[in-house]
Amino acid sequence: MNVIFAAVMLGACAVFLFTDPEGFLPAMLAGGEKAAHVCLALLASYCVWLGFFRVLEATGLAKKLSAALYPAARRLFRSGDREALGAACENIAANLLGLPGAPTPLGIAATKKFLAAKNGYAAEMLFVLNATSLQLLPTTAIALRAAAGSASPAAVLLPTLLASACSTLAGVALLALFSRPRPCGRRARSRTKEQPA
Amino acid sequence: MKYAALLLPLLFLAVFAVALIKRVKLYDCFTEGVKGAVPLVLSLFPYLASVLILAELFEQSGVSAALTQALSPVFSFLGIPPEIGKLVLIKPFSGSGATALLAEVLHTYGADSYIGKCASVAFSSSETVFFISAVYFAGSKKNLAKPVVISLLANFFSLILGCFLCRVL
Repeated sequence: MNVIFAAVMLGACAVFLFTDPEGFLPAMLAGGEKAAHVCLALLASYCVWLGFFRVLEATGLAKKLSAALYPAARRLFRSGDREALGAACENIAANLLGLPGAPTPLGIAATKKFLAAKNGYAAEMLFVLNATSLQLLPTTAIALRAAAGSASPAAVLLPTLLASACSTLAGVALLALFSRPRPCGRRARSRTKEQPA
Repeated sequence: MKYAALLLPLLFLAVFAVALIKRVKLYDCFTEGVKGAVPLVLSLFPYLASVLILAELFEQSGVSAALTQALSPVFSFLGIPPEIGKLVLIKPFSGSGATALLAEVLHTYGADSYIGKCASVAFSSSETVFFISAVYFAGSKKNLAKPVVISLLANFFSLILGCFLCRVL
């Protein structure tokens, strides 16, 4: 991220210097303003979802969901940490359902727990899953298409599903492939961690 | 598509009903959860601000337009309409920016045109990679080069596939 930030920043600064020096600060301020707006929007949706998730936890339904998915999740994330896996499973479920704003707090919680357990692979896997789109219904695109007067707004459903399924599979496969050199060490470590639990 | 809207109220209804059956104190519990919202957003804010300022510079400086132009032969070669190049470039940084661009493309070229369809698929089958990486790994010193590159590659692959599918289907 440091490299990309520096590259884009320097490139943009140089371009502004030659083309539109007066537009430089307003452009950056516009970005800051957007950040403030996005944070407010996030705060609004986190209020709703964090409250909801707390209730979900209290009902015990969250535990049942993660217990059902535990065997598959354990393999996918190479981790035995039940709490972190639970959050990761809920994150995936929220992604699939396309609940707007819901996956992020769950994903952050799971990532923090994975990183605290020194399981970088699991955190990376969760990130790749989230960053390659898991949504089953492309609600935003369909709504925008309907607004633009499309005859069949949902016509893109099938290609979108296929394309995002392929990207997710490719991402997971690539990460698993390029993380292979150390699975033995990792597995041994996670095994010793599982014993006391 | 109308049924999709039923999902949210149904989900909340079901969970709250189960909570009542299990004698959970709904108000106390919900409030307890909301408590975490402000610290969470505060911890994300610096990362969000940096990424969004970067996205704004990237777009307004004309770097993204220049890149789109430079890449358009590559895009055409891969079967991606160059008209959606800008959308493809901005999506990893900013979801709201990409949403605005998608609306613009749909308006300009028509939602049912080939370009409009490709734009819709490109928009929905990829994700805001840099945004998510900033938020999920906020405050951690982890080297993210590998997962970020993999995600970008996977999204690019789905873009090519999506445009191909739009032509065939």
